[in-house]
This record gives sequence, structure tokens and C-alpha cells, in this order.
Amino acid sequence: MASIINADTSNGLKLTSDTTGQLDFQSAGSTKATIDTAGNLKFDSGYGSVATGYGCRAWVNFDGTGTIRDSGNVSSITDNGTGDYTVNFAIAMPDVNYAANASTANTNRLMLITTNSYVVGSVKVQINYVNFAGGNTPALDSSCSVAVFR
Amino acid sequence: MSRIIYETDDGGVAVIVPAPEYLLTNTIEQLAAKDVPAGATYEIVEDDVVPSDRTFRGAWTWV
Repeated sequence: MASIINADTSNGLKLTSDTTGQLDFQSAGSTKATIDTAGNLKFDSGYGSVATGYGCRAWVNFDGTGTIRDSGNVSSITDNGTGDYTVNFAIAMPDVNYAANASTANTNRLMLITTNSYVVGSVKVQINYVNFAGGNTPALDSSCSVAVFR
Repeated sequence: MSRIIYETDDGGVAVIVPAPEYLLTNTIEQLAAKDVPAGATYEIVEDDVVPSDRTFRGAWTWV
């Protein structure tokens, strides 16, 4: 079934092992987290059941003028031009099927943010002002946050 | 902190801003080798070389 580490509320720590390769973390006999044989970390944390958690594999918060406030698994950002950035990953994604989400802190205008050019080593982010009269204008110096999930 | 600049295919200038975290364990030369597009000529400069006035950012050229 699984090797189990159980925090028993009466008798303290109980260990039960087998050879399946799965590891369960229990409290009072109830599984709260699991590492399965594929390496998936499963946990509850208010989700309602023990299920695989999908990690944020890269993130960055930068202003639009060339300062990275903080980041994780990001080697750099490339300022390609007005409102046009590339987020470069320190450790590449395993494929191009990840999800990249971006937002801007600009509260004065309606903004259009797109992520595109997904490759394993980077993703591009473009920030535009929305012009209701037609067309969009690249946004000058807008702060931006990007998170990549896989 | 240093920046890496290179000329883009359309004649503009791209500026690579290193993540401080990355430079804790890597050099800026290693970063350039990883993040500058293959075949592009680049230069490592101090950040004050990059203009702070970005009003005409799209018109920057590398001379």
C-alpha cells in the first residue's frame, strides 16, 4: 500500500513500511500528504482531499524600467522594447505546455497583457494600453508580475 | 549592476537585466552565454550606460 509516517494522537510517531515506493504522511491515521512513485507531491491544505499540487516553476516581479524586484527560477528579463519583455528561466521547463500568467500594477488605464513565444527557456510578455478607438499602444514602464506553472 | 545589450533583428536594442538571485551562483558572462540569442553580438555594460529616459525606447539603436 505505502510506507506510512503517522503522527498518532495517542502513541506518537508510528512508522509502517512496505516496498511499493509510495510514502504517506498521516495524522491520527488519516493521510494528509503523499509522495507517490512518480514523484508527485499530493497534499490537502484546505483543498478537501489529498491531491497533486502543481508548483509555480518560475516567477518574477519587475518594474518596467529595468529593475527586478524579486524572482524565483528566473535568470534575467530581456527588455525588448516598450512594453515588450522576455522572461528567461534559470532552469528550463520540461516542455512548452506550461501555463504563464502575467499581470500589471498599472491602475490608471485598461491594459492588455499577453504571454506568447513559449519555449522551454523563456516566455515573452507584452503589455499594451487598450485604445477603444482602435488598436493598442505598447505600455511604457508598467510594473509586471509573471508566474509560470507546470 | 551590469546589463547585457545586443542589437535585435529589427535594428533596435535589447537590454538583458540579470536577476540578482541568479548572479549569486553564476557570472554575468555565463548569463550572457545562456540568454543572448545565438549569433548575436553583445556587450556587457554598467546599468548607468542604459538611458533612464525611456520615452523613446523604441527608437534606441546600438552605435
